[in-house]
Amino acid sequence: MDEEQTAGYRELCAVCSAVDWGVSDEGRFYCRSCHNVIERTREVVDPNFTPGSARVSTIGRGTRTKRAERGRQWLICEGFQFILMKQADALVTLGVSPGFKDQVLCQLWRIYLQKSRQAYTSNPTRTSQFRVRGPGSDSDSDSAEASVMTASETDGDTNPPSTAGSHAGSSSDWSMCSGSLDAASYLTGRLRRSRHSLMSMKKTLALIHLALVWSRQPLTLSDLLRLVNDGHVPYVNAYEELPDEMKLEGKDALLFRVESVPPHRVVHRDARALILFLQLPAFPPISRQSLLHPSLLSLRYLMDANLPDELHPWVCRLMERAGMADQKLHTFDRRVFPFLPRYDVQTAALIIVTMKLIFGLDDHTEWDLSSEAGEQDDAGKLFSLRRWFRVVQAALIRAQQRRDHDVARKQWAAKKPLHTNSKKKSVVLKRKRIAEQVQVCFEKLSSRLAGVNGVDPSSFRFRWGDEDSDGPGLHQKKLDGVLTLKDGVPTPSNSTYWHPALRASQMSSRLYSEVEETLPRSFVWLLQLFCFLLEVKPAYLYKEVLRVETRVVEGEGPGGGRRRKRTTETRTRIRTRTRARGGQETGETRF
Amino acid sequence: MDDLQRELGPLEDLEDDSDSSDGNSSKGKKSKLPLVNILHAETSRETGFHKSTRACLERIREALLHHRWQEAAEYMACYPQMLDDTTNGTGQQYKELIWRMSAEILHHHPNSKMEDYNNIYERMKHSGVKHFLMISLEHSFHLLHNGHIEDAKHQLSVAESWRHGKESAAQYQRMKLIHAYRSLLDYMIWCDKKLSYINTTEYPDCGENQDMNNYFRHASVNLKDILKTPGIWDPFILSYVEMLEFYEDHEEALKVLNDYAYDNTFPPNPNGHVYLYQYLKRQNTSERKLVKVLKVLHASVPSHELMLEYSSLLLQSEKKTNTQKAFGVVLEMLDFACWRSNLDVWKLLKAIIQKLQLQDDWRDSVAGKMAPRKDWWPVLHFTSFHASTDSQENPELKEVKASLTKILCPDLMLKYTA
Repeated sequence: MDEEQTAGYRELCAVCSAVDWGVSDEGRFYCRSCHNVIERTREVVDPNFTPGSARVSTIGRGTRTKRAERGRQWLICEGFQFILMKQADALVTLGVSPGFKDQVLCQLWRIYLQKSRQAYTSNPTRTSQFRVRGPGSDSDSDSAEASVMTASETDGDTNPPSTAGSHAGSSSDWSMCSGSLDAASYLTGRLRRSRHSLMSMKKTLALIHLALVWSRQPLTLSDLLRLVNDGHVPYVNAYEELPDEMKLEGKDALLFRVESVPPHRVVHRDARALILFLQLPAFPPISRQSLLHPSLLSLRYLMDANLPDELHPWVCRLMERAGMADQKLHTFDRRVFPFLPRYDVQTAALIIVTMKLIFGLDDHTEWDLSSEAGEQDDAGKLFSLRRWFRVVQAALIRAQQRRDHDVARKQWAAKKPLHTNSKKKSVVLKRKRIAEQVQVCFEKLSSRLAGVNGVDPSSFRFRWGDEDSDGPGLHQKKLDGVLTLKDGVPTPSNSTYWHPALRASQMSSRLYSEVEETLPRSFVWLLQLFCFLLEVKPAYLYKEVLRVETRVVEGEGPGGGRRRKRTTETRTRIRTRTRARGGQETGETRF
Repeated sequence: MDDLQRELGPLEDLEDDSDSSDGNSSKGKKSKLPLVNILHAETSRETGFHKSTRACLERIREALLHHRWQEAAEYMACYPQMLDDTTNGTGQQYKELIWRMSAEILHHHPNSKMEDYNNIYERMKHSGVKHFLMISLEHSFHLLHNGHIEDAKHQLSVAESWRHGKESAAQYQRMKLIHAYRSLLDYMIWCDKKLSYINTTEYPDCGENQDMNNYFRHASVNLKDILKTPGIWDPFILSYVEMLEFYEDHEEALKVLNDYAYDNTFPPNPNGHVYLYQYLKRQNTSERKLVKVLKVLHASVPSHELMLEYSSLLLQSEKKTNTQKAFGVVLEMLDFACWRSNLDVWKLLKAIIQKLQLQDDWRDSVAGKMAPRKDWWPVLHFTSFHASTDSQENPELKEVKASLTKILCPDLMLKYTA
């Protein structure tokens, strides 16, 4: 019995009661013992069938017939180009300015191709297959120039310029192991030469991040990763959007298939490496008016965290004191400041340090202050940390549960599966069919579709204030409860600031898990809140917090001296001031 | 891109149970770690896909343990993407996992229908070769449970004709089970046919009905076969013996029952002796033979209900020693609390005592048998609490017991009085 063809059809034959099926030429099932033909026909599951693949898109000398069956020949970088384009389109649809894609991203991509010598260069790196033919190799350089011209004409349109890859002729090696022409060399030869010239799916995100920073769009890296995770920007299974003529097989799977969304740290590292590889000039400056600058970005995070707007001036003052207001610190420049700042993490760290300054966050001070504010406050206009904590904690727990729920339900499988080894394709396809059928059965049973309900894209994780929100909005509350007037200038009532004897460079996730037990719970909770908002690990954020604190204390901005901080000191008195509040003793800690 | 790292390592084969007939599972040596460790360990380099499926599995497990069937079904819809995992060759585990979890959810979910069962079983059966037979068996059990005998039989017949090279050879024991159950189903159909046959014809002649005979022949081949393998085959032997009795093949029936009861390679099974005894009783064999069978049963299960018959048989015989043996048997029965309130046992004991009293040395023999029981029998049977409950629930029992207290424990002051 043809197992594969009949797909395990095991019904008894109506005539002879045997189970011995075959498939006739028309595709109908027939019983081998009695030649009884039944109605069932073989499902056509033939992924090689490509309609409309006889498109003349190349000027090569290859055999026409082969190309008509298998689509056209393409290079890996073409695939990535297409994917980048789709990603950029998605972002433009979401509201990013189109200039990001047309002016910035395309240019960056061209520079990349040039630097990695895949195009726009007079001696492109090619696999040895292209050098086989004598007359062919002469025209390589011609075609490279031709591709430059075509590229300049066809900027960012739907036809990625076909490069000299079409001259590969009828060499049949490539068809065995991958749909693209140079996947094999991509994996082996270039790897040994230099890691940075490789484009990978992760690097597409890094490139997009660079383009966003360059065009000063207010989308931070954590926002981008969140959009990718929610599926608004194609990443997982992005290869499905490649046109049908570009067939993906074999080793292409290794490059185009992804099974995780990379974390913030990794993409940031790749972005930085990419800047150096591309040898980019200085970025356009991120000034105070730019939305990536902490002064404006912090507004957004304060709103998202349901903190009062009155906190914003304090954040700005802290920023100035830490010397972080200067646009030079936020702009990458190879000569002056060769660091790619993490705008989101830095701003969050600033906010955390401000809160620590004003509220203390040592598990006692903030609650005392909150109780006192509660006593004074009759009209309910003052900001109460206790109330804020309760509201935000409830919303945070719900949101975390929802996120964990979505992680468990997320469907990673693609509609068009991509497999490394084409010999096992039938096995993989069969399993996929079974998986689909089991899934459908349970979807019907539970009357709920698999996967995550589409959530609308938004810059904010929480919504405060309306009826259908995560909780009451506290943005309008006043900070009078925690401020006092000293010489007519409002200053924080809290007069102490604690700091563990750690340096930012020491911090790692292992160290954090040891240190975390010694930190005050309120502080740890605040870290977790911002980690949830940004989807980063606590150690990562804490490292940035330490860095900001170092800057604040060693202060290069106005108002700070050039004092050397003694790291052994565990309590730094900023202002010595006793808190005498109308003779009332507040000795107990209340929660 | 995650595949890239793996590719640069040693090349791994995909799933090893392909459909080709030379499916040689050379990587069949799976890790010996228990299932929980493998599936729930979070590695530091876990991909997002694995994280999702692991989280999904944990949630299904939680939902199953807490009987939240709707939630389990919802997560189960998200889980089959695990089958698409091409990283490691442990697809086996996941198929079994999906099969068993799906079956469990379908058993308990309020909206599950027969079609869902059929669907799932068919899919999972064809998902691989290792589980085909087991899933077929479970499927047919389920059909049987819902009364679809013909469908169950059909499933088993399909499974019987399954061949898959080395795999089916390796699973020959499961195949035997399948043969045996198919035969059992044949027997059930035979029973139905027998009933209808006897009801319809006036003068039933058991040799006449061809259809019935066919089933009998089909069934008996495999039943005979399975009874040769050591194991507990109670329903099979009962059905086989019934069919043999109907066709009056007593020799074969006796042989089969004797083998089943007395074969030492079989695991100890008192039921074997019970069945043999019942058969012999139906065939009106001599009392001596019956007693012999029951003696063996007594050695293994002294509290069996057939011990009543045993001791009454012993009582009926004329030998003096048998009376004493009967006495011993009944006492051993009453050692067990389950017979405490049974009137028949106590009446029998009284009858035995009465017969015993005809002998001269009855006091010695009674004392001898009661000596080891002196310490704990009174507490077991003759307390004042027993007295009150017995007089309320079963006064006749109380009478019988009260009359025996003096005889069994002559020198003890018992509170078992009216």
